[in-house]
Formats: sequence, C-alpha cells, structure tokens
Amino acid sequence: MKTKRLEAPGGIFRYLFLLPAAVIYLSVIVFPAFYSFYLSFFKWNGINPNKIFVGFQNYIQLFTQDQVFLTALRNNIIWIVLTVCVTVTISLLLALLVNQQFKGRTAVRGILYFPYILSGVMVAIIWSWVYQPQLGLLKGLMDAVGIANISTAWLSNPSTALLAVFFAALWQGVGGPMTLFLAGLQTIPADLKEAAFIDGASKIQTFFKVTLPMLRETLVIVLATQIIASMKVYDVIYAMTGGGPANSTQTLSTWMVSQTFTFSNFGMGTAISTIMVAVMMIIIVPYVSLMSKE
Amino acid sequence: MQSNKIIQKTTFYFFLLILLCIWVFPLLFLLFSSLKTRQDFFGNPALSLPTSWFWENFKEAWARGNMHTYLKNGVIICGLKVPLGILIEALAAFAITRLNIRHSNKVFMIFLIGMMLPMQAALVPINLAMSRLNLTNTYFGLFYVYLGFGIPFGILILRGFFRSIPKEIDEAARIDGCTNWKLFWNVILPISKPAIATLVILDFLSTWNEFLLASLLITEDKMRTVPAGLMNFFGDHGADYPLLSAGVLISVIPIFIVYLVFQKYFVEGMSGAVKG
Repeated sequence: MKTKRLEAPGGIFRYLFLLPAAVIYLSVIVFPAFYSFYLSFFKWNGINPNKIFVGFQNYIQLFTQDQVFLTALRNNIIWIVLTVCVTVTISLLLALLVNQQFKGRTAVRGILYFPYILSGVMVAIIWSWVYQPQLGLLKGLMDAVGIANISTAWLSNPSTALLAVFFAALWQGVGGPMTLFLAGLQTIPADLKEAAFIDGASKIQTFFKVTLPMLRETLVIVLATQIIASMKVYDVIYAMTGGGPANSTQTLSTWMVSQTFTFSNFGMGTAISTIMVAVMMIIIVPYVSLMSKE
Repeated sequence: MQSNKIIQKTTFYFFLLILLCIWVFPLLFLLFSSLKTRQDFFGNPALSLPTSWFWENFKEAWARGNMHTYLKNGVIICGLKVPLGILIEALAAFAITRLNIRHSNKVFMIFLIGMMLPMQAALVPINLAMSRLNLTNTYFGLFYVYLGFGIPFGILILRGFFRSIPKEIDEAARIDGCTNWKLFWNVILPISKPAIATLVILDFLSTWNEFLLASLLITEDKMRTVPAGLMNFFGDHGADYPLLSAGVLISVIPIFIVYLVFQKYFVEGMSGAVKG
C-alpha cells in the first residue's frame, strides 16, 4: 500500500540530521550488544586469538554449577520485588504527602530529592559509615534509644547485608519516582476530588477510586523504569559490599563484571549479560509499545 | 470535631518529622564528620556537633586525595559530553518529528530499545574495542561511549517536546525561506529551552555519576572521573570518615550547582517526558 507523503525540502540530505546519532548509537550499543550475544557461545579468556565454540554450555554451566550466579539471580529478583513493593509505594506516599499545602513544603521536597543527585559511590560511602558497627550513626541512634543490643555489623552479616544495601538505595532512589508522581498528580483536575468528596467518599476511597486510576500512566512508567534499574543495580552494591560477605549480595551485574574482568571468563560474562537482557525483554516489549503509541 | 483535626495535624507533622530525620541524619552525619578532627570524630557520638570547625580535611582530600584531578576530569568529560550529546540528540529528534523521514516511528522505537538495554549487554565488546583502538585511559574513549548511551533518553525527551510544537510554525518559517538547518537552529531549538534544560540536568547528573564504564575504561589515577576516583579514595582511606566525608562533599558541589541553576525547569520537563 502506497501513501503519498508530504516531502520536506532537502531531499536525501535531510537524513544527514539522523546520521551522527545513528552512527554513534549503532557503534556503541547495537553492534556491541550483538557481538556480546555472539561471544556468549564461546569459551574465551579475552586474550587468546582462538575462541572455542561451546554452544549453550556457558548457559548450562551457569544454571547447573554456578552457585554464585543462582544467588545473584535470586538477589536481583528480591531487589525487584522490594523496589516494586517498597520504593514505588513509598515514593507515591511521599508525593501525596508533599503535594499537600504546608509550611516548608519546598524545603521538604528538596531534602527528599537531594540524595537522588548523588552517585552510587557517594551513597555507599555515606551508608557504610551509617552502618559502621562501633562508631556508625545507626549504632549511635540505637544507643540513644537504648536498643543497641540488637545492633549488628549490618554489612558483614550475610543475613542483613542485602537489606542494608537496599535501604541505602531506597534512601537515594525515592526522589526520582516521587518527582514523576508529583508531576502526574498535577494533571488530576481538582473538581474530580471535590465531586468525590461531595458524594461522601472517604479520603481512602477517593485515593483508590479517583487518584490511583488517574495516575495509571505515570505508574506504568515508574514501574518499568524502576524494574529496569533494579536489573542493572551495580554501583551501590559494588562500592558497599563488593558482592560480599560470602557472595550474599552479588547481583547479575556485579557477578557479570567479576566473571569477565576478574576471572577472564568472557563467555560466562557475556552469557550472564544475555540472561539479563532476556529477563528485561519481558518488561521492555510492553513498555516500548506503550511509549511509542501515537 | 476540632480536637479530631488537631490529632490529624499532629500525626501528619509527626510522620513528616520522622521521615525528615531519616533523610537528613545521614547528611548531617556527613557534614559534621567532615568538620571534625579525628580525635573529635572517634571520641564523640555520631551526631554531635564538631567541637571546633576543622577545615583541614577538605584541604587534605583536595590535595592528597587527588580530588582536584577527579573534579577536573569530571568537568572536562561533562563539558564535552552534555552539549554535544544534546546537539546530536536534538538533530535526530528534529529529523524524526519534522522532516517526514520514512518509518520515523520505527526509527524512534529502535533508538528507544537502547534505553531499556542494560549497559552490561554492550560492556565486553566496548571494552575490547577500546583497548584495541588504544582508547582506554583517554577522554575521547569515555566521551564517545557516554555519547552513545545518552542518545536513547535524549531522543525520547526531545521528541516528546518537539512533537508539541505546532506544525504551523514550520510552514511559516519555510514561507520565509528557512532551510532545514535554519528551522532547526533558529526556530525549534530556541523554543525547546525547557526540555533542553531538563536534559542538561539529567545528562550532567548521569555523566558525572557514571561509575561502571568509568572504572573499566579508565585505570590510570590521573584520568579518573569523580565516582571512580572516590572509590579509589574510599579504598585507601576507608577507616577515616572525616577525610572521606570531606571528599564526598567536595565532589557534590558541582552537581549541586547545576541542580540549583536548572531546577525550576525540572518538574516541567519531567512531566513532558511522562506525557511522551
């Protein structure tokens, strides 16, 4: 089927506007991503000129023999669930809170947002010392309240380390989704809430029947971006625990980097990144179709 | 009725106070520690005020901790990457929205997929290519890779904004004899200041804070950007929180300035991105 197009002037030259972005994008993301996929079928140390083709063996080995990989996969799933349940909920509640009229609202918004501009490494340094077992802030506060007996070495205890790192990431991360929710809340007409109030709806009913449905689009975007970010989480974990103690905080990202650049298993590393992509595709496909819809 | 309202208000402010404590205490701890002598820090409770204002930590972090080098490298990389990246993204978004190119929606989708791919998916080949081309430990290598990873998000934001500009403006400009380039440079870009300001903040933040690529492509200390440099500093002085906190505060200053300057455009631009 042919449709007559309105031709913009410039003819073929107008494609030049697209050229720099296309060249850079293809060379930095597209070709490397395909090559990475290709490498995942080889056993290779990154230096030897001969790569040995091994088919799916890297993948099989990851799922059957690599305990750390399975821990990492589990941790990523825990991280996603925590992000969806805790980070998204808290940032929505915070957005509702700072959407109210009260004195010092701008300052409160600024404070809640501030950690979002920090790098993961800075957050890791700050929170490593919050959790420091003898002189840390948390220990100090627990001393003050008189519950220091439940204090532990949060980051070197395998049963608390992942949650401790997650809380630091939560502290850093709520600012972004909170801002998106705030922007979404501004688009809800005030008379809708008034109408609900006149009809005798309680605040909770108004939230679930009016506010939440109106925020649907924002919620989809926040969820998609948060899940994607959870899949990639690296900086804060690498800098706080390095994946330890005893690999209890490894994620696919940290383990992928260790496999490739510490142990020189380029095939295994690229296999892990391919698995990351596969898991994310499940989320990406509906997201892209939603975003690009006319 | 009246007392009910007071109870409601009290609980509201109580929760607000607890929240603020959680968010502010780690930052106060950072700030106070940076101004303490080691003796003061190790001898007194975490949130005590410094006994005297001790600025030596900042001097030491600046000089001995090499913060001046990391900051310089960060400024060079951001100074190149942010404006050039936005220009390249704007050119592409302009072509996608206003030049009637074929399959423009598919082109946009292909760019958008890059935003969803984790950096790790391209990491190994990038690293191999950079070492083969002798571009590890160079500004250009890091700059080029950052350009690539910024493109999907930049095009997403700018396309969203460009689409909201009425087509009549193009027609009027064309009647006045504008070429494609003039339409882009003299008409569309100036209208798009809010979207560009949002991108400047977000791009500056993500470039300044990027750690994974920076730690793999840069191994020489004199070429390190801020997060990788701080990580190195953390490794060397992990037990010296007064010094570390001074280093962290020094490296926050540039992003804080950019954030304050462009902040007023921020929510506006973000909501533009949400509407797509």
